[in-house]
Amino acid sequence: MNESLILLLIETILIGMVPRAMPIFSAALGETVDQSAGILNLGVEGMMLMGAITGLLVDYYYHNIVFAFLAAGAVGILFGAIHGVLVITMKLDQTVIGTALWFVGWGLSGVIYAAIFGISSAPPTVQTLGHIYIPYLSSIPFFGRFIFGEDPLVYILIVTLIVVDYFLFHTKQGLNLRTVGQDPRVAEIMGVNPYLYRYAAVIFGGLMAGIGGAYLSLAIVGSFYFDLTAGMGFIAVALVYFGKWKPWRVFAGTLIFGAVYVFYFMMENIYPKIPYEFYQMLPYVVTLIMILIIGTKARAPASLALPYVKGE
Amino acid sequence: MNILKIIQIVFFIFLGLLISSVFFILFKLSPLSGLGTLLYEGFGTENGWYNTLRMTIPLLIISVGLSVPFTAKFWNIGAQGQFIIGEIFATWIGLTFAHIVPPLLDIALAMVVGFVGGALWAMPPTIMKLYSGANEIITTLMMNFVAVYLLLWIVSGPLEGAQAKLVGAPTSAPIPAMDMLPLIPGTQISSGFLISLIIAIVFFFLLRYTKFGYELKLIGEGQNVASYSGINIKRQIILSMIISGGISGVAGMVYVYGITSTLIPQFFSDVSTSFGYVGIPVALMASLNPLGIIFTSIFLGGILNGAFVMEAIYSVPIDLVITIYGLIMIFSLIGIMFDLSKILRRKKIK
Repeated sequence: MNESLILLLIETILIGMVPRAMPIFSAALGETVDQSAGILNLGVEGMMLMGAITGLLVDYYYHNIVFAFLAAGAVGILFGAIHGVLVITMKLDQTVIGTALWFVGWGLSGVIYAAIFGISSAPPTVQTLGHIYIPYLSSIPFFGRFIFGEDPLVYILIVTLIVVDYFLFHTKQGLNLRTVGQDPRVAEIMGVNPYLYRYAAVIFGGLMAGIGGAYLSLAIVGSFYFDLTAGMGFIAVALVYFGKWKPWRVFAGTLIFGAVYVFYFMMENIYPKIPYEFYQMLPYVVTLIMILIIGTKARAPASLALPYVKGE
Repeated sequence: MNILKIIQIVFFIFLGLLISSVFFILFKLSPLSGLGTLLYEGFGTENGWYNTLRMTIPLLIISVGLSVPFTAKFWNIGAQGQFIIGEIFATWIGLTFAHIVPPLLDIALAMVVGFVGGALWAMPPTIMKLYSGANEIITTLMMNFVAVYLLLWIVSGPLEGAQAKLVGAPTSAPIPAMDMLPLIPGTQISSGFLISLIIAIVFFFLLRYTKFGYELKLIGEGQNVASYSGINIKRQIILSMIISGGISGVAGMVYVYGITSTLIPQFFSDVSTSFGYVGIPVALMASLNPLGIIFTSIFLGGILNGAFVMEAIYSVPIDLVITIYGLIMIFSLIGIMFDLSKILRRKKIK
């Protein structure tokens, strides 16, 4: 392989990896806030699927991509709120409820799809989200398209990343939220209402999962099929562990995943001798390896997945 | 567990069913008649019962296996992957040794190898959880995806049958008929059903009357309590996952040898063969009691079978079943938590 070909490959990966990373990143950012407040949300996958189908339906019928994302976010918030009632107010087991919400979202997204488009018809398609090409800057060779030629939501999500990071580590409310995740009793003594912070966290988590799902159906695939996310929600949860509850590290982890997806699409064509099933395994194997790399126990918020019972 | 509690849980499960029946409106069916049809197709006819029990066999075995690590609050979501690996290993044995060894030995060998396959597949997540604290739900689920793609490769590559190449739909060659598990005389039910019942009863005693079962329960109540009382937590968890993964592998073997006779591809989105996921609500609904699981697996197996028929007749997608399972999980959890006597007492104090 000569040098220019390798450069071309790297450029293709750079350009492709950012959009591919975004669905996982959006969900993972929500999950980071969730977990910082001590809530383990394992229903992300279901919430993403619900966001994906909602976004697609709204865009398909009203041709308004902004409304589509708003609707997907609203459905995510609804699921987040239900999640909150079940695990914060009713104090049910977060692991079981998370799995149950995944089932509900997984099944329901398929049911809604089939009710509207039928079981065996060709999937509906919508135009995918357009890119913004910043004049001059985007034509810089090699890095131009990658940094200055993304779709608008990428920039919105990166601003969200900066805001969330600032909120968590540089504001009083962020400190309160993390205290709730470490020890709700201490938070209560400090005069902070743990329930309020936890509800805010689950609602944000639901919103970001819904947006992430809609990004997948509207900006990448331009369509919907059964079980579209194929485990991305769980990869998002794994990346929160990998990122050690720091938004920027989580972002870096999701970029690795974006690269893995682009890499396997490319390799399928370049080197088809290996059966393509092995390429398809790649994201999941990489997730397992990444979890393994974290190695020594990642320091989770001390009260992660534990309900807060007042006065105990 | 007292009878009042059981009635209460059953009540909440039906509440969950009623709520999920609302989705029948999307398909121009009234909720109650939709639910009625679903249950009638599962339990109302002789043929329906045969198909329901066919679904129940792998479901019962897997759920009973899941009840073991679940007792220690170790959430094995990977039964689907362990089931698939069990299928692959057992089919490989069947195709390799079919005409060399007597049928009974072949079946026994396939069962043992299926167990080993499932148990091996369960080990990486277990070890990762115990030694680096990796969330077992994520790792077991990732193993499921890897197993799915491994299966897709195996049925279209190494184990692809000659007839499948002609038809173009990848499956393995069939296990010879004489090596299959026989039907129960006078019925159309595979003797795999008897195997699953025996497994359930053995596991009931394992969890209820052995030191192992008692220690798992202690671990489930809290790692601190367990380690103060001198339990080797790591050893017991690994053992519980060997049993759970292995039994899921046996379920895969029984599924191939008792029902399908060939290895068929299963996609992740394929709800109709997702016994490993359905096993989770089955086990939880029965509060992890293996004898209770016999009934809950027949119940959810019947719903799965009914949904099959409804997809064919009313174009209601089988995915509806997964929603129903999710809602049933939530509501049975509420039912278990909900303490009627406590609420009544609190009212009296006030």
